[in-house]
Amino acid sequence: METLFLKNEDIFKFYDRIALEYELYVPTEAQSPFKVKCDHGFSLPLQEYLIKKYSELEKDSVTFNEYRAIEPIRAFFAHFKEEICEYFHDTGEKRPVAKPLAIAGIKNCDLFSLQIQDFVFLGGIEEDPAYKERREAALIISSDCPSFKETCFCRAFEINPYCAQGFDFNFSPLGNGYLVDIASIKAKKIADSFKDILTEATFGQISGRSVKRENVVIRMEEHLAPHKIPKKETLQEIVKNGFNSGIWQEQMKTCVECGGCIFMCDTCHCFLLSDEPQADNHKRVRTWDGCLLKNFTRVAGGANPLRMRYMRLRNRYIKKFDFFPDNIGYQACCGCGRCIDVCPGKIDIRYILRKLHEEKYLPAS
Amino acid sequence: MKKNIYQPVEAVIENIIQETPAIKTFVLKPKEPFSFRTGQFIELTVPGIGEAPFTPSSDPNLKDRFEVTIMQAGSVTAKLHELEAGATLGLRGPFGKGYPLDTFKGKDILIVGGGVGLAPLRSLLFSLFAGIGDYRKIFLRYGARTPNDIVYKQAIPEWAKKEKVDVVTSVDVGDASWQGNVGLVTTILNDLGLDVNQAKAIVCGPPIMMKFVTLKLLDLGFKHEDIHLSMEKNMSCGLGKCGHCRVGRFYACKDGPVFTYDLLKDIHDIWD
Repeated sequence: METLFLKNEDIFKFYDRIALEYELYVPTEAQSPFKVKCDHGFSLPLQEYLIKKYSELEKDSVTFNEYRAIEPIRAFFAHFKEEICEYFHDTGEKRPVAKPLAIAGIKNCDLFSLQIQDFVFLGGIEEDPAYKERREAALIISSDCPSFKETCFCRAFEINPYCAQGFDFNFSPLGNGYLVDIASIKAKKIADSFKDILTEATFGQISGRSVKRENVVIRMEEHLAPHKIPKKETLQEIVKNGFNSGIWQEQMKTCVECGGCIFMCDTCHCFLLSDEPQADNHKRVRTWDGCLLKNFTRVAGGANPLRMRYMRLRNRYIKKFDFFPDNIGYQACCGCGRCIDVCPGKIDIRYILRKLHEEKYLPAS
Repeated sequence: MKKNIYQPVEAVIENIIQETPAIKTFVLKPKEPFSFRTGQFIELTVPGIGEAPFTPSSDPNLKDRFEVTIMQAGSVTAKLHELEAGATLGLRGPFGKGYPLDTFKGKDILIVGGGVGLAPLRSLLFSLFAGIGDYRKIFLRYGARTPNDIVYKQAIPEWAKKEKVDVVTSVDVGDASWQGNVGLVTTILNDLGLDVNQAKAIVCGPPIMMKFVTLKLLDLGFKHEDIHLSMEKNMSCGLGKCGHCRVGRFYACKDGPVFTYDLLKDIHDIWD
């Protein structure tokens, strides 16, 4: 992989060039009333980020996000609600030809989650056409996390706060600019047209980045230590063991069934197909769905295997930590902490996993 | 251009047969070539209303047309039951794996159905009849709530007349005209006279019935891998993507909907 250097002041030249060919989305600071402070004495940043359309932003509001944005990255590839076909005559003509996406501000947790989304939407018996089209055409511009939020816990699952693969470009902030990794032919072509602003990275810069990255990892692990989040190798076992645990009911006491956790989740993928009647061609619409919602598994006639809230919470953990390890080899949780941030009931995945682990390995005497 | 995986093709209702007050069989003629293996399911669309999963109940060897036997249970089936011959439905599929007929060869086949659960089993019966020489004997045990709730009333006595086919029907509650067995379907599973080591059991019906039939079959000595169960969850996309029909580490839509009991036995709450 080639690594180049881009000065801070040249970032807009880079973005402008990308925006010629792509519908570019970039990170911007967001005002959020929800600030979660660290309980363990760390002074962590409280800033929030959103990824917005570059063409609709003032340049001075474009920023570098220190950690993952509010919204899950899957939203770019399988939209929250979208028409997926018409029947019985789908000409496809009505759908505008979209510019391919370029998304900056993607973090390593998001890249991890995209593997899950790819497994679901591109793997199996059939590929999902809308997802495939967007995903394959997209330019992924990821970046390292020089910092982290209170709710970030990627390192608990040995996911790094910096990117090594799965992107086209990766940005690592360093000194007065960025080290830029070029990881694909698509990215290489673009980089080649930037010979004036992308210079070769020095050995010193690259080792400087390694030190910076390592420091974030060390600091994050210090931050995570009091949470005692179980290691990824134990997740499947503790969730299986915890089927009859009281934790599910205990935690669901504060759930208001808003669905925030499933909709903000980077790895959740479930959806609902519904039809909208039209005079001529009917529309089939796909909307995000999730197993925390009451009627997710309800069948005609009214039977609902997940009729109680605690069953739905437990089901979510079984899906993430049992189903996925069996089917893909690893858990469907990237440690982004979005579900913790969003939950009005303060239901915390870190706490639940820790409790399940303690129930398995520290049984009450 | 490759067809959109979520887009149904047209299928016209050619005929509707009223099986019971709540169950109808729809004879459908798809506008594009369509074939299925017995036990696979389809998604039927009532245009503008929505989609629901069903398993065809006709002989998979018949071309051009197929039948689906549907009980009125939810919003899509309520609309379906209002339709008349000539109406157009949408069709996607077939999905899933179907019955592993190859593993049935040389065996006694015990088919246990409950209520409208006989529908997918009828398609299986037709497949077995077509290669009857390949199997030792076929036992059909069918239970319905009342005599009125029995589907395929004309066909069942015809099947019973076939060589190597043994049919017993039972109802939970009889009426004045009913001369057959009264009792749950589990009560007609005794003394079958088959060798459980050389037999396959195929069960389809409501979850509570499947649970007790499975327990009965285990009592009779059936091996876990010889009990085939239809786990019909709320399959929606049919492709293992939408997430609704997860059963343990499987999706009913792509890994099932028919599973052998050995794959299910360690999964919590499978009968819910």
